[in-house]
Amino acid sequence: MKRIMLLLTGLLLLAMLVAACGGTAAEPPAQEAAPTEEVAEEVVEPTEEVMEEASGDCSDEAVLCIGLVTDVGEVDDKSFNQSAWEGAQQAAEALGAAEVNFIETKDAKDYGANIALFADQGYDIIVTVGFAMGEATIEAAGTYPDINFIGVDQFQGEALPNVTGLVFHEDQSGYLAGVLAASLSQSGTVASVLGTNLVPPVVAFNEGYKNGALSVNPDITIIDTYHPGGLDVAFTDPEWGATTAAQAISNGADVVFGAGGKTGNGALIESAGHDGVWCIGVDSDQWETVPEAHACLVSSAMKLITPGVIDLATMSANGEFPGGNFFGASGLAPFHDHEDAVSQDIKDLLDATKAGLLDGSITTGYNPG
Amino acid sequence: MTSVPAQDKGKDRAIGAVRRIWRSISVPLVAVLLGLLIGGILLFVSGANPFEAYGALIKGAFGTPVAVQRTLEKATPLVFSGLAVAFAFKAGLFNIGAQGQLLIGAIVAAYVGFAIEGLPAIIHAPLALLIGGLAGALYGYIPGVLKVYTGAHEVIVTIMLNYVAINITDYLADGPWKDLSPGNVVARTPKIQPSAEIPILGNIPLGFIFAVLAAIIVWWLLYRTTLGYEIRTVGLNASAAQYAGIRVARMVILTMMISGFLAGFGGAVETLGIVGRYQPGFNAGLGFDGITVALLGKTSPFGVIPAALLMGAMRAGASQMQFSAGVAKEITDVITAFILFFVAADVIVKWLIRQRDSDDERIMLSSGWGGN
Repeated sequence: MKRIMLLLTGLLLLAMLVAACGGTAAEPPAQEAAPTEEVAEEVVEPTEEVMEEASGDCSDEAVLCIGLVTDVGEVDDKSFNQSAWEGAQQAAEALGAAEVNFIETKDAKDYGANIALFADQGYDIIVTVGFAMGEATIEAAGTYPDINFIGVDQFQGEALPNVTGLVFHEDQSGYLAGVLAASLSQSGTVASVLGTNLVPPVVAFNEGYKNGALSVNPDITIIDTYHPGGLDVAFTDPEWGATTAAQAISNGADVVFGAGGKTGNGALIESAGHDGVWCIGVDSDQWETVPEAHACLVSSAMKLITPGVIDLATMSANGEFPGGNFFGASGLAPFHDHEDAVSQDIKDLLDATKAGLLDGSITTGYNPG
Repeated sequence: MTSVPAQDKGKDRAIGAVRRIWRSISVPLVAVLLGLLIGGILLFVSGANPFEAYGALIKGAFGTPVAVQRTLEKATPLVFSGLAVAFAFKAGLFNIGAQGQLLIGAIVAAYVGFAIEGLPAIIHAPLALLIGGLAGALYGYIPGVLKVYTGAHEVIVTIMLNYVAINITDYLADGPWKDLSPGNVVARTPKIQPSAEIPILGNIPLGFIFAVLAAIIVWWLLYRTTLGYEIRTVGLNASAAQYAGIRVARMVILTMMISGFLAGFGGAVETLGIVGRYQPGFNAGLGFDGITVALLGKTSPFGVIPAALLMGAMRAGASQMQFSAGVAKEITDVITAFILFFVAADVIVKWLIRQRDSDDERIMLSSGWGGN
């Protein structure tokens, strides 16, 4: 009796697992009971042959291979890392690359080792995503002078020929978001829910946002909250994003700017559940990536990582890799279904602001360093 | 039946020893295999080839000398935190606070490493290690004293002290001890002096050798000294120990301090041997995984080493597995969780391999929770 119960428990457990894996025509979970020895063999044998076919021939100079390493973020975060990965994939397709692959870093100590995994296979272009990887990228560039590195969000203090920092004027798109937020707000209170202030681009977004809002309404109240955790959790904490957004809304905010990977997405989705609250996304046009937030998502403060990565990869393939810093495009995303909610006056103001930012007659008030 | 030849006696003894070893390792071993099996099924269901994935995992962990080095590097702090948890266990204490003690040890060692200049390496590195360990011991002293004098349960106290440690270290790394070198904006301490670095001998990190030595010392302390005997007696039955004249209060505090020392020492080794500075987030989970390692090693000092090596190998190989087989990095966590599940629910494993319980090798989880 006891054994039968145990067996049933085991099977139930397995059934739960299979169900949890998305139910893609699962294999029958029947071979559970006895197979201890088989496993040992399974695990030990198949090293060699498999590895060889996986390595391809990236070491061949004529063969283009593009690799991407994230910091502890994930390539399906629907914003930052995902846009970089899409850029790498599209570049690979356009340039006819033989291999395009990514590694999500699990342990912050492994940045260098993960870059080396690609470098040692002879990859030609390695995209490292995130400010936190800056040092490891520069170090790797010294070790592998023949490989071009694209460092997303990594401002280069000294220009190296084989590292290009893909950087953005986040403060400018943040400023536009702030102008939009203050123009839409009825309550006179707007909020921002942000990844950690350890990352300068996040601070740039927020400072621009605040000054943009103040430029429209000098008396506006701004509730800005940075994630208190370290780099390891700040961008992967949607629960914190949601509760922080809810708090800001209960304190009167009626526009929420969510900036910080999955953390920011949590804030957007939470805002969508409150009537009369607008939300603004970040990095990519999040209308496409966070459909749960359509109810409130009026626009996104974009930094166009995807085309930036494609441009730099193309330059690298053509032997025109610039080195130093490369400024990618930034700005506001379309309003999509909320086109009518944004009055012509606001649109004109945004256009004027954009022009002013471009010709330098308007400054965002963000001054790093 | 009159006289058994001496030869046979020796043979019997050998068979007995083998049987005893098998008894103690069979459950963890089968648990590992079951964990890998379920992981393989998961890999298969998610569309990857389990053979290819495990092949890549093994290649990433043992395929090259550098891979072996990385496995050892990843295993080193886990040996220390595993020893810390296992040691406390012997006195019936459940030290969930290895993470906090490790963080404190790591940052204090970093401070000694970067702030003191001009010492020769032969003094500087050992000094930083020792002070890191002592800082961990001090941090373990708190829950020990609170337990003895107020009855506050060490599980609760150590869990809460982990958060205190995270915030103390975050503050120090972003405040008084922050790296002020030009261009740095992130929270971290300056790099340690070269004289405080722990070298790598060929492909063997010296820290790992320390870890093995620590396991031997802990074993010796527990099983070959009076102190160890008293600690184990307290763990088996605190009331009886008290009645027998053992000063239980002192033993509890001392045990928590030694446990904290081990964890803090592990943090110091990590700082001085791998990271080269303290940086928040870089030691995440090392102490918590010590609990897994200790349970998987059946709280035996020598069991901790293979358990830590297994976890280290999975961490070292995880990137290679992503790279070659396109497997999500979380799969290794899932496998670890299942291994732990089968170790904890050893009745399933024992039923599978038809092994009967014998009381002396049971891990008494309850003595940690229900203790007095």
